[in-house]
Amino acid sequence: MSHEVEILLVEDSPEDVELTIRALRRNKLANEIQVAEDGAEALDFLFCRGSFKDRTPSSLPKLVLLDLKLPKVSGMEVLRAIRGDERTKAIPVVVLTSSKEERDLIDGYQLGVNAYAQKPVDFEQFSETVRQIGMFWMLINQPPPPGTFVASRAQGA
Amino acid sequence: MNRSSKAIAASALLILICIGALSYRSQVRNEEDREWVTHTHLVVERLQAIRIDITQAETGQRGYILTGQDRYMALYGTGVDRLGQDIKALQDLTSDNSEEQESIKRLRSLITDRLGELADGIEVRKQSGLLAGVEAVTQGNNGELWMEMIATQIGEMRRTEAELLSARLKTAAASTRKMKVLIACGNTLAILILLVKGFVIHREIGKRTLAEQNLKQANESLERRTAELSETNIELESFAYSVAHDLRAPLRHIAGYSGVLTQDYGPRLDAEGLRCLGKIVDCAHKMGTLVDDLLALSQIGRQELSFQDTALGSLVAQAVEDLAPEFAGRDLKWQIGDLFNAECDSRLMKQVFANLLSNAVKYTRKREYAVIQVGQTTVNGERVVFVRDNGVGFDMQYAAKLFGVFQRLHKARDFEGTGVGLAIVQRIIRKHGGRIWAEAALDQGATFFFTLGTPENKAPKQPELAIHEEEMDVARS
Repeated sequence: MSHEVEILLVEDSPEDVELTIRALRRNKLANEIQVAEDGAEALDFLFCRGSFKDRTPSSLPKLVLLDLKLPKVSGMEVLRAIRGDERTKAIPVVVLTSSKEERDLIDGYQLGVNAYAQKPVDFEQFSETVRQIGMFWMLINQPPPPGTFVASRAQGA
Repeated sequence: MNRSSKAIAASALLILICIGALSYRSQVRNEEDREWVTHTHLVVERLQAIRIDITQAETGQRGYILTGQDRYMALYGTGVDRLGQDIKALQDLTSDNSEEQESIKRLRSLITDRLGELADGIEVRKQSGLLAGVEAVTQGNNGELWMEMIATQIGEMRRTEAELLSARLKTAAASTRKMKVLIACGNTLAILILLVKGFVIHREIGKRTLAEQNLKQANESLERRTAELSETNIELESFAYSVAHDLRAPLRHIAGYSGVLTQDYGPRLDAEGLRCLGKIVDCAHKMGTLVDDLLALSQIGRQELSFQDTALGSLVAQAVEDLAPEFAGRDLKWQIGDLFNAECDSRLMKQVFANLLSNAVKYTRKREYAVIQVGQTTVNGERVVFVRDNGVGFDMQYAAKLFGVFQRLHKARDFEGTGVGLAIVQRIIRKHGGRIWAEAALDQGATFFFTLGTPENKAPKQPELAIHEEEMDVARS
């Protein structure tokens, strides 16, 4: 891959993928979006395994947009794996899901999610939600310096 | 059953006690009888001894008369002494029998007379020598006669004693036989009674065991059904949740693609095309609201309550504040009385007030002067919170449908809504162990009452200040 991935979108519904990417693109927020259709694929990408084994490990996304209801490995398990590994634990993760079940909110925050948003039914509101998330995490938020991950990796080795 | 079974046991016990007493008495009688036998033998023995004693005394006298030797004199003396002893003993033995005493007297006088003759003979021998002595013995020569009389008397006495014994033994045998029969019958009766009692107890135990088994089975099946029911409930709740959840995604997509269509192809559609597209978006939103409400309802069903001491008044104040945008610009008067503190899940209870007050705001919308009251009152000693409005009310004949899911008593054209709000309220109140009901009349306003399950509810910090009709009128004017 020539460009570094800026957003990892973990989403199994093609419609949601299309509508989310459209909302991001219309706001010129992300040129490089990697889509993972289930939790296993997301983890393969992050940890350079399986079909992503040739990927440069140091290149980590600026943001993970995570759905919770996913085939194979659930969103919560992906979050747990990200936070449980020195190489990935600093990546900002925002849950974007249909559910605002109290249980999911509690579990999400306990696992260290950075933000939690429910997908609104209304398209305008949905677009606005995605725009604000993208705006904040891509443009306003200062990402962890690259050294954070390198140092961690050196410690972990 | 219990009393009669006690009576049976008591009667068996009584019979056994009687048998014991009779047995004891019979035993005492047997001992007495044995003593009588011994007694008879003793009497007979003494009579025998008396004969021997007399013979000895006579032998001693004759020996002395013939030989003049002292040893015969001693023999005579011993015989006389023994006679005295034996007669005395005989008198003691038969002291209770006057008839025998008489016989003994006769015997004694005979013996005394005879002993007198013997003594006379010895005196003659001593004074006048052998020949005179022998003559004295042979002169009267009535010794044989005396002896016969004495023997007859003794024989008579022996017969009397034998007859007495036989009669006593006969009575004893008869009473022993009677005793045996009595004991045998009594024991048989007692055993029969105990057998009957045993049978009755056995049957009772059988009945009780059966009843216990039935009860146990009934309990088990009840427990099973309760478990099944709660499982079904949980399944239903999670079914409602996953249906609502899964329905939400395609709805968002419908709305989403309609939005894309409007944005990208809107300019190429005519007015009718745009109107239809707008309808699609509206319908998706409406269904979205339904699904969200359904989710909220199912979430309340699955949620654990967290009880805390809550001032209901502050929940009302918060709910009113949250509702402010909905009644902005309207002439609406709030009359909020003091409310008690309650042990409740404050978040859910706030939802109750939010829903009830939002309904009140909604259904008074067409009133020029709207009044909404919140207060407390007491019904049958139970604290009741009420929310009253002077809105459009409803027909009481549909009151039963009021709290049903998706049940609406007004046209969607008049008042928007999904028909889930009151279902949620009812579910929350019921989870708190309380009840909710409403009173209303068409176009006359509505009042909702609810309780919170009495035990945890605390006493009010201030005296109750329920708002009455008069105040409402004052407020209106």
